Amino acid sequence: MAGVGSLAHHPGAGAVVLFSGEVRDNNQGRAVTFLEYEAYVPLAASMIAEILATAKQRWSLHAAIAQHRVGKVAAGDTAVVVVTASAHRSEAYAANRYIIDRIKHETPIWKCEHYADGTKEWGNNCNCHAVTGDVSKHIYEHDR
Amino acid sequence: MKIHVYAALKDYFQPEFEVSELVRNTDELKALLLTLNDKAGEILSSCRFAVEEGFIDNAFKLNEYDTVVIIPPSSGG
Repeated sequence: MAGVGSLAHHPGAGAVVLFSGEVRDNNQGRAVTFLEYEAYVPLAASMIAEILATAKQRWSLHAAIAQHRVGKVAAGDTAVVVVTASAHRSEAYAANRYIIDRIKHETPIWKCEHYADGTKEWGNNCNCHAVTGDVSKHIYEHDR
Repeated sequence: MKIHVYAALKDYFQPEFEVSELVRNTDELKALLLTLNDKAGEILSSCRFAVEEGFIDNAFKLNEYDTVVIIPPSSGG
């Protein structure tokens, strides 16, 4: 994923925001050695493309890029990157948060946490449906 | 009908399998899946369903040649 940020440079962009989602070495008091990401790739790719296009239009971005890894990602490594570029920083920040929120809540990508004690667990699924009553309706941090 | 499941659903079902019973919509599919594993009720109630790379709801009419992908809540990022 190194170098993704450089793709967002644009002469009209005074701001480039890069969000890098990293794998923590712990979760809820347990030592994490690596995550295993799985995705329903065709749908995940088309959904991310739609999210980027929506953000680009909504905030008049010069660039919107997102990449998410699948497979094994070690603690300390990068799992997902979102880069946004706009004329001014407020749009780039807002769009970046919108994009990562929607990727985390909506796209068919899952992580399995592998712990130092040899156990594993599918982790931290979106549970918005418990509040919204609809598996397709989510509560986003960017709306709060 | 072919069924593909992902992530935590693989703790309840094989990643890919076929069902030969008549299933006309997602509610009927969920009911059938519960007969295969009655412990899957909670996770199935939070899943989305997709056919040909698009989400479907219970109004979508399934047929025996469909491949249905069952999608648990996301946990990417």
